[in-house]
Amino acid sequence: MELEERARDSADNCIACTSCIVACPVTKANPEYKGPKLVGPAHSRMHFSDPSDYEDTLMLCSNCKNCDITCPNGVSVSTLNMLERGRYLKAHPEAHKPEDKMLSHGFEMADMLNKIPFGKSLANLGMSIGEALGVMGAMGMAPERKTPRYASVYFRDLFKTIKQPSSDKKVLFFPGCYIDTNEPWVGTAFVQVMNENGYEVLMDNRFVCCGSPLVVGGYLDEARQHADTNVAIIQEYAQKGIPVVACCTSCSLMLKNEYTELFAQSEMKEAAKNVWDAFEFLTMLAEEGKLKKVNIKSDHKFIYHAPCHLRAQGMGLPAFDLLKAAGLNVVNADAGCCGMSGSYGFHKDNYETSMKIGQALFDAINADNYHKVICDCGTCRMQIQHGTDVKAVHPIEILAKAYKKA
Amino acid sequence: MVKDKATVVVVGGGATGVGILRDLSMRGIDALLIEKLDMVNGASSRYHGLLHSGARYAVKDQEAAKECIKENTILRRIGKSCVEATTGMFVQVEGDDPDFVDPWLKGCAESGISTRELSKEEALRLEPNLSRKLKVAYEVPDGAIDGFRMSWQNLQSAARYGGRYKTYTELIKVNIENATVKSITVRDNVTKEEYDIECEILVNAAGPWAGKVAELAGLECNVSPSKGTLIAFNQRITNHVVNRLRKPSNGDIFVPHGSITILGTSSITIPDPEDTSTSWEEVEELMKTGVGVFEHLRDYRILRVFAGSRPLYVPKGAEGGRNASRGFVTIDHEKEDGLKGMMTICGGKFTTYRLMAEKFCDVLAPKLHNTAKCRTAEEDLVPEVSEAEKKAARQYFPSYGVNLAATRLGVEKFGDVVKTLKEQPETREVLCECENVTMAEIQRIAAEPTSHCVADVRRRTRLGMGTCQGNYCAIRSAAVANKLFKNKFEGCSDSLSDMKNFLQARWKGITPVMAGKTLREAEMTRGMYELLFNVNGGRRG
Repeated sequence: MELEERARDSADNCIACTSCIVACPVTKANPEYKGPKLVGPAHSRMHFSDPSDYEDTLMLCSNCKNCDITCPNGVSVSTLNMLERGRYLKAHPEAHKPEDKMLSHGFEMADMLNKIPFGKSLANLGMSIGEALGVMGAMGMAPERKTPRYASVYFRDLFKTIKQPSSDKKVLFFPGCYIDTNEPWVGTAFVQVMNENGYEVLMDNRFVCCGSPLVVGGYLDEARQHADTNVAIIQEYAQKGIPVVACCTSCSLMLKNEYTELFAQSEMKEAAKNVWDAFEFLTMLAEEGKLKKVNIKSDHKFIYHAPCHLRAQGMGLPAFDLLKAAGLNVVNADAGCCGMSGSYGFHKDNYETSMKIGQALFDAINADNYHKVICDCGTCRMQIQHGTDVKAVHPIEILAKAYKKA
Repeated sequence: MVKDKATVVVVGGGATGVGILRDLSMRGIDALLIEKLDMVNGASSRYHGLLHSGARYAVKDQEAAKECIKENTILRRIGKSCVEATTGMFVQVEGDDPDFVDPWLKGCAESGISTRELSKEEALRLEPNLSRKLKVAYEVPDGAIDGFRMSWQNLQSAARYGGRYKTYTELIKVNIENATVKSITVRDNVTKEEYDIECEILVNAAGPWAGKVAELAGLECNVSPSKGTLIAFNQRITNHVVNRLRKPSNGDIFVPHGSITILGTSSITIPDPEDTSTSWEEVEELMKTGVGVFEHLRDYRILRVFAGSRPLYVPKGAEGGRNASRGFVTIDHEKEDGLKGMMTICGGKFTTYRLMAEKFCDVLAPKLHNTAKCRTAEEDLVPEVSEAEKKAARQYFPSYGVNLAATRLGVEKFGDVVKTLKEQPETREVLCECENVTMAEIQRIAAEPTSHCVADVRRRTRLGMGTCQGNYCAIRSAAVANKLFKNKFEGCSDSLSDMKNFLQARWKGITPVMAGKTLREAEMTRGMYELLFNVNGGRRG
């Protein structure tokens, strides 16, 4: 791996210009956070040395990646923050918040519940009771939030019941935890859209959580194991000429960029070439004239929120552009970060910051009588529904519905 | 006009001078140190900051090697907050002479320097940036030492025993009567006032300037200033001191310091010790060698380049430069030249500064009928800030850097700074973000009687020495600090000119390496100060 491509060394490109501080939604909402350049880039200059004298506010970064997006010198600022946070927490496990383990290891709980009869229903019931009794706060979770409920059938199981026409053209779906265990209908919509375009969708249950929640929780060693597992599978399919497609922009960012930034392995960089975001893939088909045409007819007005982790991929707004071109009456909210940033907003301590950050987006959504909010990211959708009364859906749902109607 | 007197006046505020001041003061001798600029301006800060284990001298000069390992052990004990106990590595890469290893190992063993062979795998695990062409690696007890801090702490220690010091006080005349030094005339370089200081013994500890000081007394002292050029990199490339295991030559040594790494050095004989200029060619020569040890060296950002002059003492007829001895000499001018009341100390290296002072004062003290023993190895330079104090301070520090501030400031000033941070929350603002220096710390140091400009504050706080090289802190700190200086220099009496001078000094180290990543930073500095603030007063048309 060339030195220039290692996130660790990209700190050398930082000219301390402060663009990242200006772009940081956390700094704006919480002045206690001194801003990205003072955390990751500053600390990583000291790398290898004893991590005993560390910036406490290292824990306040939400890993939303607006610093990376804005940096004029290509510094992987947020990844440096995560590397330094991981290094710090490894040396100081006592600095972990009590909820870190749970929020970073949601996939473990989800897997376990799937093995117990009525596990998921009982868990959902438990969460309802917990919320009603106000015990979430005691666990370090924001008591104001409704914890996402488990789907009665996970997508991994639901998928087996979907009848697909077989095809030579195949894609491998990377569902990600949230779609798999909480919103399986997004996965179903994806299969429909791909089938309409002549693709057969495959699943591989050896895939594990992309590792994004592990990284923000400081569990870098575990994240590395997840990366290795997933990368090996992606490469296996790459050899067969089968692309990997994800509907969750945080998962796709992880597979495409963050593995390489964090762990600097050349096979990760290689595997990344075989990973697409769903609408990036569909846009590619459209550009080749291979996308099945559809004309969306709807009297409703929609508003689109671009997740930060989509913008961090530097590929424009493929879902927004594609739906708009298909005739949907949709405006771009263009209101910055929603404030949720994965598990960030679930922490009790981050709730206030999270909601402050999201206010601009909530205001944009409430400014008009929008039917629905469209957004590619699951946790953004949760935040939007928490901060406004408007329902939020994945763009693939809109497209699937349009194909169905046509 | 006689304005002051001291039994002994020491000329030169480098490691040698401060070491002697401390030693004399601890023996109960009334001593005053004068320095023509700010403390630690010459070779004692303009070097790689290596605390030698002695391994570098193990083959050629075992005497020096033995001294080094002994002093290394002492300094680690008495100067805990000045030393980064990093340990060091001696490495060979493909192409290095394998026959050098055995004599080196033998030399180390005979000098009492411990060595531990590292497997290639272990060496690369410890230092992942090392060249894949690594052949052999040994661990030795090298370390990093902060020249600024070590010298200031010697002064603090001396002050506890009545030792005094004056900065920006330049020796301009030695007044001799009956072949005896009676007094000296000095000039205050801030106020321009000239006055006399009476003394019994004048100590010439002016390092590479020792020849010039001797000249003022009508004597000759053959010091050959040898310029060493060094490169500071923007990050810790290595966590160990890394030495090339071969006959000592240029560009062999990498020393990590806080957030940076220093690569050095060259050895160029120069006529004038004031010459601290550097050139791209000198940098290139160091890089060419350095890249053998760290193969990606050219990808790392160079922060700046700087140079200092070694005070090599060359006896008549001997060779100068790289081959000149790194040992030191004590010259009693009464014996040598028939001038009573003057002694010169010359040569040596930072690591052995304490031992040099001890041996020198063992000769000096009996002249004053003082029979006290040297105690400089027994007592810590300064009391350490306790963990409890640091823990309590953590709630007021706006950022990390409590440890850094505690080691920089020492107990008393650290206490002051923490009190200010606590009582005046606005002083928690970090003025230097790269090195984490708060407004409170800058105010505290600016109020010291020895501070006259922002550069003085820089040398004691590391302000402006990090990534942005003063880009942001220059404007902020000049505004805060300039108000507090008791005496100001001509030409930098207001915040704006002070800021310009400060930036100009930073610029000096950047211009020879203004390429690649360094150029990006420089261009932003230029954009901010020249275009946005128009500091150079350009006019349209």
